[in-house]
Amino acid sequence: MTRFIIKRLFYMVPTLLAISLVAFLIIQLPPGDFLSTYVSNREAQGEVVDQAEITNLRNRYGLDQSLPVQYIIWMGNVLQGDFGQSFQHNRPVSDLIWERLTLTMLLSTGSIILTWLIAFPVGIYSAVRQYSMGDYIFTTIGFIGLSIPNFLFALILMVVAFKFFNISVGGLFSPDYATAAWSWEKFVDLLQHIWIPIIVIGTASTAGLIRIMRANLLDELHRPYVTTARAKGQSEFVLIVRYPVREALNPFVSTIGYTLPQLVSGSIIVAVVLSLPTTGPLLLAALRSQDMYLAGTLVLMLSVMTVVGTLISDILLAWLDPRIRVSLGRS
Amino acid sequence: MDDKLLEIKGLKTHFHLDQGVVKAVDGVNLVLHGSGKTLGIVGESGCGKSVTAFSILQLVSKPGKIVDGQILYNRNMGTSSNEVVDLAALDPNSKEMRSIRGGEIAMIFQEPMTSLSMMYTVGFQITEAIRLHFNVSKQEAHQQAINMLGKVGIPDPEKRVNAYPFELSGGMRQRVMIAMALSCNPTLLIADEPTTALDVTTQAQIIELMDSLQDEFGMSMILITHDLGVVAEVCDEVAVMYLGEVVEQSDVDSLFNDPQHPYTQALLRSIPILGQGRSQQLNPIKGSIPDPFTRPTGCPFHPRCDKRIEGRCEHVHPKLTRTPDGRMVRCLLYEEVEESR
Amino acid sequence: MSSVTQTPSMLLDEVDDVNEVFMASQRTLIWWRFRKHKLALISAIVIIAMYLMAIFADFVAPYTPNSYSVSHQYAPPMQVHFLLETEDGTRFIPHVFAYNFTRDPVSLKQTFEPDPDNVVTLQFFAPLEEPRMFLGMFEIHHSLFGASVESGERFHLLGADKLGRDVLSRVIYGAQLSLSIGLFGVFISLFLGILLGGLSGLYGGVVDNIIQRVIEFVVSLPSIPLWLGLSAALPPQWSVVQVYLFITIILSLRGWTGLARVVRGKFLALRSEEFVMAAQLDGSRQLRLIFRHMLPSFTSHIIASLTLAIPSMIIGETALSFLGLGLRPPAVSWGVLLQDAQAVNVVISAPWLLLPAVAVTIAVMAFNFFGDGLRDAADPYGR
Repeated sequence: MTRFIIKRLFYMVPTLLAISLVAFLIIQLPPGDFLSTYVSNREAQGEVVDQAEITNLRNRYGLDQSLPVQYIIWMGNVLQGDFGQSFQHNRPVSDLIWERLTLTMLLSTGSIILTWLIAFPVGIYSAVRQYSMGDYIFTTIGFIGLSIPNFLFALILMVVAFKFFNISVGGLFSPDYATAAWSWEKFVDLLQHIWIPIIVIGTASTAGLIRIMRANLLDELHRPYVTTARAKGQSEFVLIVRYPVREALNPFVSTIGYTLPQLVSGSIIVAVVLSLPTTGPLLLAALRSQDMYLAGTLVLMLSVMTVVGTLISDILLAWLDPRIRVSLGRS
Repeated sequence: MDDKLLEIKGLKTHFHLDQGVVKAVDGVNLVLHGSGKTLGIVGESGCGKSVTAFSILQLVSKPGKIVDGQILYNRNMGTSSNEVVDLAALDPNSKEMRSIRGGEIAMIFQEPMTSLSMMYTVGFQITEAIRLHFNVSKQEAHQQAINMLGKVGIPDPEKRVNAYPFELSGGMRQRVMIAMALSCNPTLLIADEPTTALDVTTQAQIIELMDSLQDEFGMSMILITHDLGVVAEVCDEVAVMYLGEVVEQSDVDSLFNDPQHPYTQALLRSIPILGQGRSQQLNPIKGSIPDPFTRPTGCPFHPRCDKRIEGRCEHVHPKLTRTPDGRMVRCLLYEEVEESR
Repeated sequence: MSSVTQTPSMLLDEVDDVNEVFMASQRTLIWWRFRKHKLALISAIVIIAMYLMAIFADFVAPYTPNSYSVSHQYAPPMQVHFLLETEDGTRFIPHVFAYNFTRDPVSLKQTFEPDPDNVVTLQFFAPLEEPRMFLGMFEIHHSLFGASVESGERFHLLGADKLGRDVLSRVIYGAQLSLSIGLFGVFISLFLGILLGGLSGLYGGVVDNIIQRVIEFVVSLPSIPLWLGLSAALPPQWSVVQVYLFITIILSLRGWTGLARVVRGKFLALRSEEFVMAAQLDGSRQLRLIFRHMLPSFTSHIIASLTLAIPSMIIGETALSFLGLGLRPPAVSWGVLLQDAQAVNVVISAPWLLLPAVAVTIAVMAFNFFGDGLRDAADPYGR
């Protein structure tokens, strides 16, 4: 098992390197020299830019060097924890990201939990009571849910909430608390606002998950080992959860890995629509304004999370499924 | 009902499909006498023998349903707490049914490969059965599981108890199934083609094992198979099924020496004889099993029967009659003999 | 010992052993497929209708997408009435009431009141104020339906946007770009998928390994940042057509991996079949037979996968354009239309601007149902 993990970690390195390369190239795509854009932006705002500062930046990031050299300098900085400066905000990238990261993770974790809480029971019910009225209803709702792009769902929810419940949505805080220091009241305010984003993001993946769970479970429900359990005298509920559901969970686990990058990106489009102060809108703005290091760092982070997430899925799967675990132990 | 452990009367299990109704079991009568006896149920694929077995424990899956008949189980036979329970009338998920399943009537299945869950150890699956019916601690159950594994001939049971089913061979898995089924000391063991999926040598071993376990535990057995050789070795009584009905039931010796129903006779004739060389003519039963949606009228076997009575067999559905020597047969040939007496 | 069973009944050509009939799953298969057919059929009709509408947009839409009216900014949808009181009595004449505009002097907000005296009759084959080009080929002088010329007023069945442009017309025209991007993108995915998946499955070994790693790598790139990044890199001066092509390619870069996996799987299964070896030993005639048998299951599977890939492309384009990173005005696609619906207060006061979302949802649902039905028909034992 450990050898398996080590091997996977080993293979991860070239993938990560390749990803960092792609991230770097993506940032370099927009034409123009960032530094000149930066300077002209600052001057347009009426600020005076110190020549020494410019030379400093130029050296720090090797902006007058060739692309490969720039890449190496950038990676070198990144590995030391220097993620660069945001041109747009004129602050270190790490500060900007860090501010938003906690909120993003809170939001994402909340929506993932909601998704699982709904999807599992509904999926199991749908499979066990196949063709019942409940199954039809859930399947139809599921189909519709899958078809509505979730950012549109967010918009619709916002309109509905405002028109019928007179709740002003958008943002994670009321104006008073937005920039205030953390306090219990601020936390309560957060909770009051966060439930709509959680519902929107949570329900987005619920439909898909229900379908997967239902399909997997249907595959297993009529297998002989379920009959054996019944023949032993076990009750329906226990034997369904213990045997076919357990088996049906395996393909499920491989999808867990994809939730990790979500923790960081936090469903970008919904965040934009709902004006949430998460990392998503930050990335979008950075890409639009060619804020090179901010965008690059975020893209890199997301990609790394994705790869790590896949690795965690694989390890989880290997651990959970005795067939894989034992065969690994033997090899 | 005194010496009958299990009596099935007029059992009908039908499957309601979109294309029509498949009458997998259509009026089966079976008797299992005494204790420690083995009743074999034979027939070709599709004759309904497995469905009959599943019906006994109410394990028939949708859209199948028991629509008629009784399955009378003589519980605690020979003791003061004796009672007769109609299994067909019980709700499949009721407490009573669940306590009978595994605790008093156990079942083993055809495919050991897929009949055990790959997610749990062999020991867990056995202890689950034990703890469902006995109030013992985990450790005790675990020890009992180890004992059972030893009894079914699995080497090194202390280690093997923590193995997963996929780590064992087909024959070992079937032994595990047997251990699991017998772990609660049932009065009746139903074995649905337990050796069909195994290779010939393992088959012999498993049959031998079941035989000796029967001697040791004293349980009755219903053995479902299409292999007449196995029947000859192990069974005391045999029932022959065709298209959802029992067409003949008798003790094993009489069946092989003097088969009564034309179908049984044709079956026995069709077995190739060892040693006769390649010049031997094969005697298959002419025709083929009819489409389950279009059953023949009258006697279900008549289209393929060379002893059929023209004009009668296609119209009259024979009843199961008892011949003078105590055997049962469902054929007009014997009804007439009876009537003419 | 079991004799061969002859099973003439309809469902039983899939069944080898009569015993299978007893298994519940057969019944559920047939019943499920039957139901799916109805939904799939309806969806197919919806899809065809949408594409026809897109192709004939020049004829179907009452107005061209950029025709605007300053007085009709944010006009709400007009209700269609069918019975009109004329001098000859009540007749069946579809009509709407034109708007009276009043502008609130304080908030400068315009309010619209339907004026029952100002009747705008609607008719089929309405003459156009100005002739239009049909697909840039020839002039037409009528649209499928529209306001009759005498009234000289505009009608907005689905309301108007901030420039007074007719939402219904823009949605109809929007279908052209939104639906075609999906189609083209999917074909690019198809090409890449079959090529790489086929190579992977057919040759196996090193080739397979490399391609598998590439696929893993592509899949591990988070798609939204990838799309955003690539789109943000779009030079602002590119023409609509160039942007369109670029977006199509970006979207299909993610889609081909799924297809490649399916194709690879099929090829791998092919390779391990014993009769492939037999065919190779026996000569080419059997090979041809193999492909004659294999190909049908192949292509139907692929078609099903393709159909199911289209919705994600449509949603992808809509999302990108919505964020301003995809197609841009003056191009008209459903995503571009939704750009106007980004601000919450706008949406609240003019919710009909969200109607392109309904179009997207209908299209996506139709493709999902249809693709599902196709996939079931292609492989009833698969999931």
